Order: sequence, then structure tokens, then C-alpha cells
Amino acid sequence: MATSTSRNIFVFSILLVFLAQWAAFGNASKRKEASTLSLAERVQQLTDLSNKRPVIRMNVAKFNEYVKGTPRNYSVVAMFTALSPQRGCSICGAANEEFTIVANSFRFNSQVFSNKLFFALVDFDEAGSIFQSMKLYTAPVFIHFPAKGKPQSHDKMDIQRFGVEAEAVARWIAERTDVQAVARWIAERTDVQIRVFRPPNYSGTMALIIVSIVVGGLLYLKRNNLEFLYNRHAWGLASLFIVFCMTSGQMWNQIRGPPVVQRTQNGISYIHRSSQGQLVVETYIVFLLSSAITLGMILVIEAGKGKADIRKRRVMLVAGLGMFALFFGMILSIFKSKAHGYPYSFIMS
Amino acid sequence: MAVKLLKSKTGEASSHKYETLLKLTILSLGAILSFSTRLFSVLRYESVIHEFDPYFNYRTTKFLAEEGYFAFHNWFDDRAWYPLGRIIGGTIYPGLMVTAAVFHYVLNFFNFLVDVRNVCVFLAPLFSSFTTIVTYLLTKELKNESAGLTAAVMIAIVPGYISRSVAGSYDNEGIAIFCMLLTYYFWIKAVKTGSIAWAAACSLAYFYMVSSWGGYVFLINLIPLHVFVLMVTGRFSHRIYVAYSTLYCIGTILSMQIPFVGFQPVQSSEHMLAFGVFGLAQILAFIDYLKSKLTQEQFDTLFHAVFSLFGIIVIGAVSVLLITGKISPWTGRFYSLLDPSYAKNNIPIIASVSEHQPTAWSSFYFDLQLLVFLFPVGLYVCFSNLNDANIFIILYGITSIYFAGVMVRLMLVLAPVMCIMGGIAVASLLGKYIKDIDQGSKSHEKKTVKGRDSQQSQSRRSEISMAFVGMLTFFMVMYAFHCTWVTSEAYSSPSIVLSARSYDGSLIIFDDFREAYYWLRMNTPPDAKIMSWWDYGYQITAMANRTILVDNNTWNNTHISRVGQAMASPEDKAYEIMRELDVDYVLVIFGGLTGYSSDDINKFLWMVRIGGSTDRGSHIKEQDYYSSNGEFRVDREGSQNMLNCLMYKMCYYRFGQMYTEGGKPTGYDRVRSAEIGNKDFELDVLEEAYTTEHWL
Repeated sequence: MATSTSRNIFVFSILLVFLAQWAAFGNASKRKEASTLSLAERVQQLTDLSNKRPVIRMNVAKFNEYVKGTPRNYSVVAMFTALSPQRGCSICGAANEEFTIVANSFRFNSQVFSNKLFFALVDFDEAGSIFQSMKLYTAPVFIHFPAKGKPQSHDKMDIQRFGVEAEAVARWIAERTDVQAVARWIAERTDVQIRVFRPPNYSGTMALIIVSIVVGGLLYLKRNNLEFLYNRHAWGLASLFIVFCMTSGQMWNQIRGPPVVQRTQNGISYIHRSSQGQLVVETYIVFLLSSAITLGMILVIEAGKGKADIRKRRVMLVAGLGMFALFFGMILSIFKSKAHGYPYSFIMS
Repeated sequence: MAVKLLKSKTGEASSHKYETLLKLTILSLGAILSFSTRLFSVLRYESVIHEFDPYFNYRTTKFLAEEGYFAFHNWFDDRAWYPLGRIIGGTIYPGLMVTAAVFHYVLNFFNFLVDVRNVCVFLAPLFSSFTTIVTYLLTKELKNESAGLTAAVMIAIVPGYISRSVAGSYDNEGIAIFCMLLTYYFWIKAVKTGSIAWAAACSLAYFYMVSSWGGYVFLINLIPLHVFVLMVTGRFSHRIYVAYSTLYCIGTILSMQIPFVGFQPVQSSEHMLAFGVFGLAQILAFIDYLKSKLTQEQFDTLFHAVFSLFGIIVIGAVSVLLITGKISPWTGRFYSLLDPSYAKNNIPIIASVSEHQPTAWSSFYFDLQLLVFLFPVGLYVCFSNLNDANIFIILYGITSIYFAGVMVRLMLVLAPVMCIMGGIAVASLLGKYIKDIDQGSKSHEKKTVKGRDSQQSQSRRSEISMAFVGMLTFFMVMYAFHCTWVTSEAYSSPSIVLSARSYDGSLIIFDDFREAYYWLRMNTPPDAKIMSWWDYGYQITAMANRTILVDNNTWNNTHISRVGQAMASPEDKAYEIMRELDVDYVLVIFGGLTGYSSDDINKFLWMVRIGGSTDRGSHIKEQDYYSSNGEFRVDREGSQNMLNCLMYKMCYYRFGQMYTEGGKPTGYDRVRSAEIGNKDFELDVLEEAYTTEHWL
């Protein structure tokens, strides 16, 4: 995480330098028409830019020059996004990372086409007018600008359907470029398949290693006395934990990957409105409530055992009873709000 | 109400006879309750068989009852899986059919003339009554009689079990749960006594289980796991050695008699745990024997030498067997349990079945209610009082709750253990406090700490206890209400007959499924081949008695995929496929008129996915069937592929001229709330054969 931020800062500073240079250049050429640059020149410049950085950051002038300018013999895949922190677009950040992965992967493993396809980024805060001219009201949006003509409706990637994972973006780009590629590069065509190379994620492996070191170390230190493995309280707690995880639907979260909270008209909602789905926060709430109910009942049982003094036991009993009733009522009301038409309630409606 | 009876029972435990009478009353009431609560659907509709799979079971049972066991065993069914056919005897678990046929035979022998269908309809409720009794016995072994009674009453009405055993749901699970609990009961008995007789009974019950449900794999892994844990915790003894060795030997040999199981118990990885533990038990017993004969030093040398030699041999043998393919790798369904995302990513046909979805917390609550919270308490009680039997029930609880979390349908396996644990929990919650209440009236109460308390605190304690008992009773009553509500609302509608409320509140019954099947039976030539999506396969063979292409036994992925391709292709392409498959009629289910939402259009995406999942169907892409916005639509904005495919055309044929709902244009689809996009078209290669009253 730390490395990536520092890298971002580094990139950002490069970008600043680069922008300054370009601004000077842009001012100089502004009076000419955008398409005065010849095709070869533009391709050359784009190639240079993308060699510096696979995703080319566009401002209005550059966008008109490279992406809108004709004639082209290259396609551009542009991501329209809003990266600045005050926009608060969290998915844009994620999409940006994935997009960069795609661009990098393309650069490194399809040299043949390196001047046929370029990756661009348009930020709303830098080039809002482009958003208006493209009639875009949301971000992030991926649009493919084909080598000939204007983008058609199918050249806009639907992130609702495809998701923003690098693999999905790559597949989408491959499909779109296929459309043109078939027409033009029939002879020389080898598929523009972008094999996505993800920077490997070591955190899982690291966690495993650390856990095994800790466990191994404990076993080694305690090798003379393995009694703690037979500790029934530890095992009991572990199995209770598993039970609560399962009954609160953590496995469902694991498989389906629901959102943490949901935004609705009435603000953020923590509870999914139908009994078919659930949110992550909701499962945590259920987890806590059900463990509280169980704790209440266990207190009641312990109070009945009659080892401690009478007053303490009475307090335990009443507390346990109260917890049981209160939290049961709460969980019932949550359930009732999910299952429409459920007739019963207790304490709370 | 049974809970109240239970309380009074534990309260007035003075007279032995009275107690027995009460116990019997509660148990028989529980059994009757579990039978009658499952009859909602029969009362509301009629005695029909539900769902899809039970129709196949019904058909095979009928065959068995008419033709006898040997003909059944050798039956080659040419109606299913045209043109492949299916060998029925070797590809099913016959336990259910044999049970029903035996009941039918016995009843008819005594001149109670009962139809096979009625036997089938009422078999599941009957077996759930048996389950109630077995649960009592099992819980009694684990804790005590009051826990047993509570558990029995709970299991009588737990929705998680009712969902699979209502009258008319004639499926393997209905009797399998009974078999499973019976096996556990005998196993606990065998572990406690160490007698060969109990172990043999256990293996017979296991055999019954194997013959009736594929879920026996859970059982044959759980019992060895129990033995293994007992070994690790140093509780291994001669009793367990005797019990397990007997069970494994007899059980394995018996289970191999089922043709469908065959040599799996000694070959597949699913059974390897049982085999390994069996070997381990022999080794441990042998070591014990040697220890008693040799000195410590001799023993140590021998132990090290033999251990290393044996380890090398075992590893070598296993790897050779794996390479030669003698030990089969884990099957898809089982693997999807261990790695939850496996099925979703790799096998669309498994992911498409709603029973194989993971379980959200609300469905846990929906199916178990109070038990969700009593279960951990029961677990706690078991942990605080560990013994051999308790370890078993703990293991059962933990493993089954994991599996239930992964797959909704395995809630069924979880429900009994939830009830057992719940019974244990309630018994230990109530036990102390009911005694407190009694203390006021009874003088011969045991000498406990209470003896030292003052009179005043005693009376207050009895009040608190009273409050607590009252509240728990209240919760139990609520549980009963919840269960009844769930049963009547969610689990008692046979999907073959649909009902809906009309605007004035009266009940309308749609019987179009049966109308359609009956039409097929009466109006098509007997050798006609009918193409439909696989959900309806069993029903067509059972009710229309015609040959079908695919059915609910989804063993052949490519064949189903071919049908999916036909449904998803435009008419001319589909015609080629249908010629290839030799199809005469095509049956589609359409709910656009009645508002029946699980019709073929809504299943269509699965057809596309499954159709596109094989080589021959690779031209079928899911994206092509979405509209440009990425939605699945049937109106004007739907994609051209969608609007021209066979399924669409068949479903909406002539629908464009229909008025369905007031104030809406013609061709308004009530399920998807849209006016259909392609209204006037003619079918080129097919012709409409018959449309039922409500266009289903």
C-alpha cells in the first residue's frame, strides 16, 4: 500500500512536469488547426507518450488532437473518470488501478500492435468540457474510439455488466478491437488478446507464512506440554465462533461478495430490504446479536448451577434473561423488515 | 402445548407410571403433529405429487410395484434422454422406491386398497413421524429424557425439515433423514456399549441410508471423523474399536450391493477417510496389544522401524493408485462444498439449481427460528460436559452447519442436529428452574445449596424462576407459531398446481401443467419425442408418458447444452438441431399471462449459459441476449438475438394480440412488466400444437 502511494506521488510529479511542457507546446500550436499534425507525427507522439506512461492523461487540447482528430489508423480506449479525492468516487480509484494494469499488460506483451491501440485517461476536473461534449454524466466510463468513424453505442463499456476488473476490461477491448481488426488487418492479424499480468499479491502468502511461524513457534516453545491442545474451552469457543459465522451468513458473503452498505434515497441503509440478499454490515450485526442472545442464555444456565453466592447469581439470571429477550426482539424486528408479510414480533415492532 | 406437558412431567416426577404415560403421550402427539403439519398442501389442493424429481420417483415406484424387483433392476428406460436412454436400475438409489412398494404391497395384502400414488404422497410425512421418535431416542442417549422429548417435539415442526418432507414431496431426502438419525442412534449405542449387535444394527441402518440417498457420503465421513477425534483425544478404547470395525466391514460390503454405488466405497476419495481411520484403528489396537506383551525398549525400536517402513509403503501405494486413476478424484458437487466458489466458476449446470446456492442468514432464521440461538447454547452445554457421545454430536453440528452455509439444500442435514442441540439447551435451561418452582410444594427435594437459603429468598427465587420458565414457554409457543406459518406459507404449495388470489380475494387455481401433459398424452403418437427444458423432463415422462430429450438427472452436460442451443438459436438454426435430435414436439412454459414468474423466459439466461458452455455452442454468447444497456429485456429494446430466438417466438406466439391487463396495450407481459417487442410474427418451421387455458 505504502509503495503504491509513493509511486502515485512520483507519477503525479512526472505528470506535472510533463503537463507543463505540454502546455508550452500546446500554446505554441494552438493557433493552428488540430489536425495540422500529420498522422505519422501523431502516432509517433502518442507512442512516445505511452512509452513514458501506458495510460496517457488527456486534457481538452490533447483529446481533440489525438482522439478526435482525423485521420487515424489507431484506436484509443479512453477512461472517463473523476479521480480527485474531493469527488469521493471510490470505484474510480479501483477502476483506475485495473485500467492501468490492462494498459501495462498490453504494452509488455503485444509489441506488434503497440501503435494501433492507445490508452487514455480523461479526468473530469481537468477536462470537464469533454464530458459535456460526450454527453457523459457518470464516471467511470470506458469508451473505445475506433480507428474509423465515431464510437458506436457498443463501443461504450458497460461496467454494470462487465465489472471493472482488469480481465473484464481486457476481454471487452479485445472484442471491440476485433470488430475493426477483422476488416483492416486481415492479413497480418494475430489476435489483439491482452493477457493480463497482475502484479502478484503476496499478502495471502505472507499471512499464511506468519500464521504457520506463530503456530510452529508456539508448538516448539510448548513442546513439553501439549495440554493446551486439549483445552476444551478453546475448542468450544472456536466452534461457537464457526457457528455464529455460518448462521450470520458469512459464507454467503464469501461466495456472493455483497456491498458493505447500500445507498438509498433515505440515506445509507445497513439492512438489505429483501430476504434474498444481505449486506456485509448486516451480517456483522446479526453476528453480534445472536452471540448476545446465546451469551444471555449461557448466563442463565450458569446462574442455575449454584456455585457463586446467591446475589451474584440473581444478577446473572436477570441480566441473562434481559439480554435474551431484548436482543431476540431486535433480531426479530430486523427479520420482519426483510421478510415482508411476516406476522410475528416481540418487544419491538 | 407439548412443552407445557413436558414441564409438568419433569415437575411431577414422583410417580413412575404417570411419567411413562406422559412420555408416551408426548411422543405420540409429536409424531401425529409431525404427520399432520405436513398435510397443508393435500388439504388445500389434492393428493398430488410436487416438484419435478418426485415425478420420476413416482414413475419408477409404479414400475416397481407392477413389475417386481428384478424387472426394475434390469429396466432400461427409453423414454428419457432420447436417443441415449437410461438404465434405471443402475443409476438411482432404490431405497425410496422399495420402501414405498413394500408399504403398498403390505397394505394391499391386508386388503387396504391404496393407490401407489397415495402411498408415495404420504410416505414422507409418515417417515417424519418415525424421525420424531428416533430423535427422541438419540437425544435421550446424548443427554436425558426431557431433552429427548423437547428435541422430538421440535423436530416435528422444524421448517428446515418440513421443506423437504411435506405430503407429496416424494423424494429421497424424506426417508434419508430418518435413516441418518437411525444410524446415528445405533452408532451412539454401539459406542456406549461396545456391543457387536448394536454395531451390526448400525451398519444395517447405514445400508438403508446408502440405498436411499447420495448424502450417505456425509455419514460415512462423519463417523470416522468421530473415531479419529476420539483417538486424538485419547478416548480410543476397545468399545470403539469393536463398534467401528464392525460397522466399517459390514457397512462397506452392504453398501457395495447397491448398483449405483458399486465399487465407490473402496475407490473414490470421498470414502478414503473411513478407510484410513479403519486402518488406523487396527494399528492402534495392535500397538496396544504389543504394548501389553513387550517391554518398553523393545516396543520403541519396533515402533520406529515399522512406522517409517509403513509410511513409505502407504505413500507409494496411494500415488501409484492416483496415477493409474484407480482412485477417482472428488466429484464436482462434493468439491463445490469444500471450495465454495468452485461450482460458480466452473459448472453452470450446478450453479443454475437454486438448491445449490449459499445460505443467507435470513434463511437460517426462516428455517430454524429460535433454534439458531439455542444451538450454540446446546453446543456450550455439550462442551461443558464432554463424553464420547457428546463429541459426536458436536462434530455433527459443526460439520453440518458448515455445509448448510455453503448450500441451502443441506439445511436438511442441519435441521435434526439443531433440534437435538435445542432440546439439550432447553432441558438444561429449564431443568434447574423448574426444580425451584417445585421447591415450594415439595418437601423431599434434594439437598442442595438451596437448603441453606432463607425462606424469603427462596420464595423470591421461585418467582424469578417462574418468570423465566414462563418466558421460555412463550418463546417456544412463538417457535411453534413461526413454524406453522412458514410451513403453510412457503413449503406447502405443489409447484405443479398454481394458485393465485384474484382481485375479489377468491382463489384461482391454475392447472395448466397437468392440462398440457394430459394433452400430450392423449393427442400425440406414443413414440413422439418432446423437447423441453430439463426441469420438466420427469413430469413429461411420468404424466404424459412420452419420450423426452433431457430430464432432471443432469449427468450429460453436452446433451442439455444442445437443447439450450436449440432454444437460443433463431428458428432455422434451431430447426437443424431439432432435426438432428429427432424432435416432434416442443414444450415451453410461459407465465406472461398469469404472472407466473419461474417460466422459461426467466430461465432462458441459464439456457444460454449452459448452451454456450460446450464447444458446439460456443457461438452462443450471453452478451448477445442483453439489450444495449446490459439488461435482459423482452420489449422493443431487447437485442435482436433475443427477439428472434426460438424460445421467444414460441412463448410469445400470438401473444401480440392478447389483452392481459386493463389499461395496458396488447401483448403486455405481466411477469416482466413490459410490452413485448416483437408482436406480429409467424412460426416458420413449427406450428402451434396446443395452448392451455392460461397460456402457461
